[in-house]
Amino acid sequence: MTIEVEWRDYDVIVVGSGGAGSAAADAAAAEGARVLVVSKDPIACSDTKISEGNATVRGTVSDADTEQELSDNLRVSGADLPLPALTAAYAKDSRPAYDWYRAHGLRPKINRDRQGPFARPLAKGGHTVARSVGHKNAGVAFSHAAWDAVVEGAQIDYLEDAWFLDLAVAGAENGAPGRVAGGLVYHAATGTLVAVRASAVVMASGGLNTLYFPKTDTMRGNTGDGYAAAARAGADLVDMEQVQFLPFCLTAPASYEGLLVGEPSTASFLGVLRDRHGKVILDGVYLRTRAECSAAIMRAVADGRGTDGGGAYLDLTANARLPRSGKGFMRYLQTSMPSAYRTARQALSKPAVRCEESWEVRPAAHYTMGGIRVDATGASVGGPGDGTAAAGLSGLFAAGQAMGGVFGANRLGSTALTENVVFGLRAGRGAADHARAHPHSAGDDAFHPLIAAATAQFGHGGDQAPALLKLELQRAAWDHIGPARTADSLNRMDAVIDDLADRAGRAAVPDYALWNQAFIEWVELRSLLDVARAVTAAARERDASVGGHVRLDRPQVSILAQPYSTVVRGQTGNGGVLRVQAVRARRPRMPAMRLLAMRLKDAWRKTQAKALCLLPPALLDPILDRRYRAILGPGDAAPAVSPGGPAAAVADAAE
Amino acid sequence: MKIDIVTTRNGVRETVAYDYRPRQDGERPMILDVLLQAQATALPDLAFRYGCRARNCGVCTVDVNGRPRIACRARVRAGDRIEPMATLPVLADLVVRRDGIARQLQGRTTADHRDPDLNEEAPEAYHDLTACIECYACLDGCPMHARNFADDAADAALPDAATGYRWGNPFSLLKLQRLRLDPCVTEDGRQAALDAAIDLGLDACVGCKGCKCGVGIDLKGGVVGELLAAAGDRLSGDGASAD
Repeated sequence: MTIEVEWRDYDVIVVGSGGAGSAAADAAAAEGARVLVVSKDPIACSDTKISEGNATVRGTVSDADTEQELSDNLRVSGADLPLPALTAAYAKDSRPAYDWYRAHGLRPKINRDRQGPFARPLAKGGHTVARSVGHKNAGVAFSHAAWDAVVEGAQIDYLEDAWFLDLAVAGAENGAPGRVAGGLVYHAATGTLVAVRASAVVMASGGLNTLYFPKTDTMRGNTGDGYAAAARAGADLVDMEQVQFLPFCLTAPASYEGLLVGEPSTASFLGVLRDRHGKVILDGVYLRTRAECSAAIMRAVADGRGTDGGGAYLDLTANARLPRSGKGFMRYLQTSMPSAYRTARQALSKPAVRCEESWEVRPAAHYTMGGIRVDATGASVGGPGDGTAAAGLSGLFAAGQAMGGVFGANRLGSTALTENVVFGLRAGRGAADHARAHPHSAGDDAFHPLIAAATAQFGHGGDQAPALLKLELQRAAWDHIGPARTADSLNRMDAVIDDLADRAGRAAVPDYALWNQAFIEWVELRSLLDVARAVTAAARERDASVGGHVRLDRPQVSILAQPYSTVVRGQTGNGGVLRVQAVRARRPRMPAMRLLAMRLKDAWRKTQAKALCLLPPALLDPILDRRYRAILGPGDAAPAVSPGGPAAAVADAAE
Repeated sequence: MKIDIVTTRNGVRETVAYDYRPRQDGERPMILDVLLQAQATALPDLAFRYGCRARNCGVCTVDVNGRPRIACRARVRAGDRIEPMATLPVLADLVVRRDGIARQLQGRTTADHRDPDLNEEAPEAYHDLTACIECYACLDGCPMHARNFADDAADAALPDAATGYRWGNPFSLLKLQRLRLDPCVTEDGRQAALDAAIDLGLDACVGCKGCKCGVGIDLKGGVVGELLAAAGDRLSGDGASAD
């Protein structure tokens, strides 16, 4: 069968239309570039949209929240894996990034004393300063801004229902990456292949969490398409073993599996994690990072002390039980993460929702810290150490979850909605600059094999359904490269990948061009298999536990050890099959005095938290009551109408 | 549990009687549970949109027994019939072409009108509107949106989807009214938003019994009523919205 091919010319292609993609497109268009946004989901229907809507804005509460402080917070929590150049860029641009959302209609409450937004009063785990700004309607409010940025000015062309298949690359030889000539796109809504000539491509296509579906709380579209296309084109990926699993997600009922019901901070002052026998496996939960909580749960599960649903119990009852402060706690729980609490209210029993019983929770994939290896302009880099753009894939840029290197081993709460615009704007500008410097297309030759390969899939005969292979891969990925890993499990994953790749070669795809779901499933299966290869290779190279990478058969990495990141290099062999190789890139260690100061501050907070729990209830209750009053303020109630709220008129699940 | 799923492949429409197997006793599955199970068993190539499974992303809307429902958070009963949204053209199975809606706003809501001072608080009514998840349930029964398909019903497969529909809908009106409530938009910007609403066919709202929102926003009072009041006598006479 022949599918029609449409050729188009642009300066910059942006893959994805969430916070990162919309910011990149806006920035590139502002530089005068001709921009095409390619989005498989409708514009702005992304993880940005479904997030809790908290953004990190440095200096919201005090001028003492310096760039150094925020940059160090990211590096300490990321176990020194983050690149200092990237964390510095993040700290420098956090306010301008936030103001980009505001310029497109995000409207927070204003603190007149500081001429800016209010931060939520409690610092989220791992932040040493309160700097997380919350918003009415959570991520949906951010998505309106992203949507407006792409649609409103009519400066940006976009295709939705469009799957980015591959980067066209010219001039790659002797193992060195070449330069971007454009990309090939399947536009399902018109049933055409769109061959887009462009000298720069920004990958802003999200993460890989759908590798673990349904044990994830993020968008279905996170099938790692950007990582896979980059690796197939010869670009480096970094820290791919680092997948963040949120600790407090549901195990049941089935329709809610994997959905988020809380964060370490919402466990509040007295929340603890317990194993199936009721024994405490983690205390001071509200001061822990997501990675610490997830690791504690998975270790209990591995020891046979997990719950029936393969998780642990999040016990918030001590917070709720106190006669006075208990009411404050419930109000805090309901208002600090409204959509998470709404999920809990729909899915859990009434006593559990009132926090008279524990919640059964299990980690679920939430964010990919690793990604395309870039510098502070978002440009693909290669080579040893921090890498250089000269050794990267020329013309490839990345932002948002698609890029790696800024969060290292752990991402702190509320940092993603800032990161995606900090680097979205940088990558968009970088791509526009690159296109200006390379105005001529690198040639059409690079497209022909890609077009031939995609065309061959339409009407491909075989006995395998790609959608079912995807399900097999998702089950295996949770078991073998999920929140707990061993040397054995990694070997088993290799075998699963080889088997599924072989069967993917026998995929049955009908021959019609308009919205061919089997073709779409095959495309996403191919992406997921490629990212599974990258995660497995990186996980093997990382031979100790650190952050989101938990090796049950190896110790925690020593803080005295020389930090390194894993770098996965892709090479596409015969038949388009990706081969990956993992190496190490050294990272600088944070100066000992700064690290010590941070750790002391953290230890002091944890000691205070412990001491608090030892007080008798009669003394504790009024102290906590005052704290909740300070946290909540007078009028901090949930918005009257919100997605999925009780006023919902059409969908009626939450009766 | 027998559920009818209407499929369309390569233009051929048929009804598949799918037998949902409950995962626990007395389970009342969501629409999406049925679709996911069908895809994992009898219909591996079934095409349907979904995203967050938590009624935040707005992409999974389908019709059940002729009414729009958000698939991840609306339950089905035995005998229900799941179809693509009747208000937009079908691409495959339960997938409809959505982009003709958003595209009609391209160039109509430009950022040039923004006031540079961002430290202004929006009124509560503004936040009521940013609750919209763009599920398009509000297209159901909308006489303004129906105009797009009225002229040439036989050839209404994909009218103007690639460039944006000529006539508006409650979602587009909401986006415009949101601009009018934004304290950082200038008076000119507000006026342009009202002009756009009138040009999209606001006159169709006169005397309409009102639209229904998928997440409970008061569209009739908070959007349509406000715009009608602002338009005032500009809607009298039928010339206001003609090309």
